[in-house]
Amino acid sequence: MVTWVLISAVVIAALLGIADKRWSNISVLVLGLVPLVFGGFGLMHHGTIVLIHGELYLSTLGAWFSLVLGVVATMSAWYRWGYPDHGRTASLWLPIFVLSMMAVILAGNVWVFMTAWESMTISSFFLVITDHRKAGVLQSGYIYLVMSQVSAMLILAGFMAMGSYVHSFDFSVWSTQGAALAQAPKNLVFALLGIGFGIKSGIVPFHIWLPRAHPAAPAPVSGLMSGVMIKLGIFGILQFLMIDLGRTDRFWPIVILAGGALSALLGVLYALMEHDLKRLLAYHSIENIGIILLGVGVMGIGIDWHRPALVSLGLAASLFHTLNHAIFKTQLFLAAGAVEKHTGTLDADQLGGLIRTMPGIAIGFLVGSMAISALPPFNGFVSEWLTFRGLLGIASHSAVLLALYGLGLAMALGLTGALASVCFVKAFGTIFLGEPRRRVSQNPIQASMTWPIAVLGILSLLLGILPQPLLNLISQVEPSSGLIHPAYGSLLLSAKTLTIAAILLAGTALFAVISRVWKMETVPRWSCGRVPNPSMQFTSASFTKAVRTTFAVIYRPHHNLQPLGKHAPDFADRLVYKGGTVPVWERHVYKPLYRWVWKVSRISTRIQAGPVRLYLAYLLGTVGLMIAIIH
Amino acid sequence: MLWSVQSVGIIILFAVSPLLWGTTQTVKARLQGRHGPPVWQMYRVIAKNWRKETTVPEFSSWIFRLAPSVSMAALLAVLIMIPSSGQAPKGLPHDLLTVLFLLALERFWIGLSGLDSAGTFGGLGASRTSTVGTGIEPALLAAFGVLWRLSGGSAIEPMTPLLKASPGGTLSWSLAVVSFAFLFLAELGRMPVDNPDTHLELTMIHEATILESNGRLLALSQMAMTLKLTVIMTLGWVILGPHLGSPWPGLALLLVELACTSMALGWIESRLTKLRYFQLPAYLSIAAGIGLLGFFLASGGFNL
Repeated sequence: MVTWVLISAVVIAALLGIADKRWSNISVLVLGLVPLVFGGFGLMHHGTIVLIHGELYLSTLGAWFSLVLGVVATMSAWYRWGYPDHGRTASLWLPIFVLSMMAVILAGNVWVFMTAWESMTISSFFLVITDHRKAGVLQSGYIYLVMSQVSAMLILAGFMAMGSYVHSFDFSVWSTQGAALAQAPKNLVFALLGIGFGIKSGIVPFHIWLPRAHPAAPAPVSGLMSGVMIKLGIFGILQFLMIDLGRTDRFWPIVILAGGALSALLGVLYALMEHDLKRLLAYHSIENIGIILLGVGVMGIGIDWHRPALVSLGLAASLFHTLNHAIFKTQLFLAAGAVEKHTGTLDADQLGGLIRTMPGIAIGFLVGSMAISALPPFNGFVSEWLTFRGLLGIASHSAVLLALYGLGLAMALGLTGALASVCFVKAFGTIFLGEPRRRVSQNPIQASMTWPIAVLGILSLLLGILPQPLLNLISQVEPSSGLIHPAYGSLLLSAKTLTIAAILLAGTALFAVISRVWKMETVPRWSCGRVPNPSMQFTSASFTKAVRTTFAVIYRPHHNLQPLGKHAPDFADRLVYKGGTVPVWERHVYKPLYRWVWKVSRISTRIQAGPVRLYLAYLLGTVGLMIAIIH
Repeated sequence: MLWSVQSVGIIILFAVSPLLWGTTQTVKARLQGRHGPPVWQMYRVIAKNWRKETTVPEFSSWIFRLAPSVSMAALLAVLIMIPSSGQAPKGLPHDLLTVLFLLALERFWIGLSGLDSAGTFGGLGASRTSTVGTGIEPALLAAFGVLWRLSGGSAIEPMTPLLKASPGGTLSWSLAVVSFAFLFLAELGRMPVDNPDTHLELTMIHEATILESNGRLLALSQMAMTLKLTVIMTLGWVILGPHLGSPWPGLALLLVELACTSMALGWIESRLTKLRYFQLPAYLSIAAGIGLLGFFLASGGFNL
């Protein structure tokens, strides 16, 4: 009864979105607070809560993701109060989007899950194309839709396979019987679901939709998509592949680790070359999904090689990074939205010096940048530390090649972290610091856009200083499987985040006070005796020049200097410089694939010409064939 | 007892770091046939800058004013975390991974302050410092690979007692030492990676980030520079150096080792020429490769 009341309240809230923006915001706020409370309650409850028998239930893993959804949804709704409107589309679809993500988490069987999953895809598609009049937005939307459908079909196929092996489509049956399956069915399910969820998470070979779709959407939607939606792929991998299937072929965790490392590295490398702030952040989502997957892979190695310590480290690392990434990525996307509303552009090479016109947003972006670069004392540091410990745990395994693989992955993660910090020095430095590069408009932004960013910043500081209570909650996830290491608590303590944060804050304050930072006079900068101008500052392209040259194998950079004028090559009046990098995946993977799909569909038009009688004949033939086979 | 050794160690190391810097400079000058400044010159330079009036460039913000303090705080945190006598007192964090993150924090703020100065040199220094940092971080993970392997954790602890348990002990230890030596020069911005003595825009890396600083901010940056030298040397000696069981002799030994290293650094610096900036990735990959080889040996790689 209580459940029904809850659900109908939720549905009403979603329908309110049709009314107007204010009601839509209120319903998103409610729809955010409900999972927040649900998640907290579910984690405290030590076990699964059944809402509707066989249809909806809240597992402890689900409770964690529900917490993530709650945090992001409430903050996005709060932020949207002051965010200039995008017509009725966003108001209508946003509550439905949040609701369907909640339903994915709560789903108790295949049908509920797939309905929720598809409704999540459709509603997010409409949110992505909110600004459909802008060039390229519709195309991004379609690419997103197609990739999502491929993902959904693979997931459905995987579910069908799993259902036929276990003889049930009920998820609770899967978690009791999944582990007992033979190796071959497990492999098939793992491959189908792994790729399906991988596409939705934006793992590297399947990532091309992500940097297109996320930036096209309005900022609160980008936050929800990057913060929560792509994490639901991770939820699927953890729930169905790690926890339900249990021990699999040892090949799989190694593949997951490789995918994670590849996504992390390539994600950050592509992000470095971006000038557009939102696209840069979208590429960083790929990077962070890679880091989360590294944690998942550590967990998989632990399950397959019977190392409980690795299982708990990997699970804690991946889940904690999921929450952390949701927090700081939402914060960064919301700050990016504020920058866009303030100046009208997101191009880093046009901006500069925003720290003076929007100081609050600048601090929020700085905190987010430090958290995403895994710098102490923020939360990204804790979860990357855990991931590192997991990978180094693999590195101390007795099998030499596995150990070497573990260290190699740790090095890849180290490189990723260092590149991420370069990228955010670049992003924060070129957008918020220095002198404005161009004259841009400076529209005032509302305080209600700054507050959620500040709250998220405080959250990420708190979780960076005192991660222990939440990490203890993670140990509630699947305590029944007996996989969690008994010494779990002490394993995570050695980073002593509180002491380090205290030293850092006290040290900074001390040195700032004794050097009297407030008593300094402003003078013109040094420009070798010339008149200083804004174009003498480094831009995001020049800042990353060395990285571009070092990783030329990946970027394939090209540039072209064209002299123009009457006596062009020797005495040019004007020089035109064009440079860029080659989008390798699009050119060498997706373009050929796209052409091939076109070719196939053109061939298929020969048998799909349109006349109804032909289709009736096909139908008859198929039925006949089926009867023939069955007999 | 361990706490008192650790605190005395922190104070001494903090106090002698300009002296160690000066030693390197003096040795270098003598080897180049100059008389050079006295070894305590760095104290005078810092004191002189501290007393001067401090100005900041136009368009800079509080980031520029705060960055030297943050980088001092980060290095101080590293100094506190390293068990300088070889044994860590109970309750103090001594985690090697955290040290790497703290060094990244320092680099992050140096980079920001470079861009905040709104000049050409700041951005140049910021770009170069952070790019070199991307190579150092993974290579350091490889250099300490043997330690992760043998200790099974990420604590800063002496490696020599652990070596007995490993098949290719001494050899992998020496490879780790070589790899760390490479990275030591890179992290500190010494020859052949960066030349701390020039202000030529073609060559300078770290100096470019502090070109706009003066007065107290410059003094803090110089203190941070000398402290970083001490911290990284200490880190290397504590992990890779000889290990005495008792704390006070351990601390004394460390000081001798530091004095020797800073003299050796002067000798190395006057023997090497600077590499081209674009050759640095190769240099850093060699360091990482040596570290990986050491790890491979320590894992019993040849009996697969």
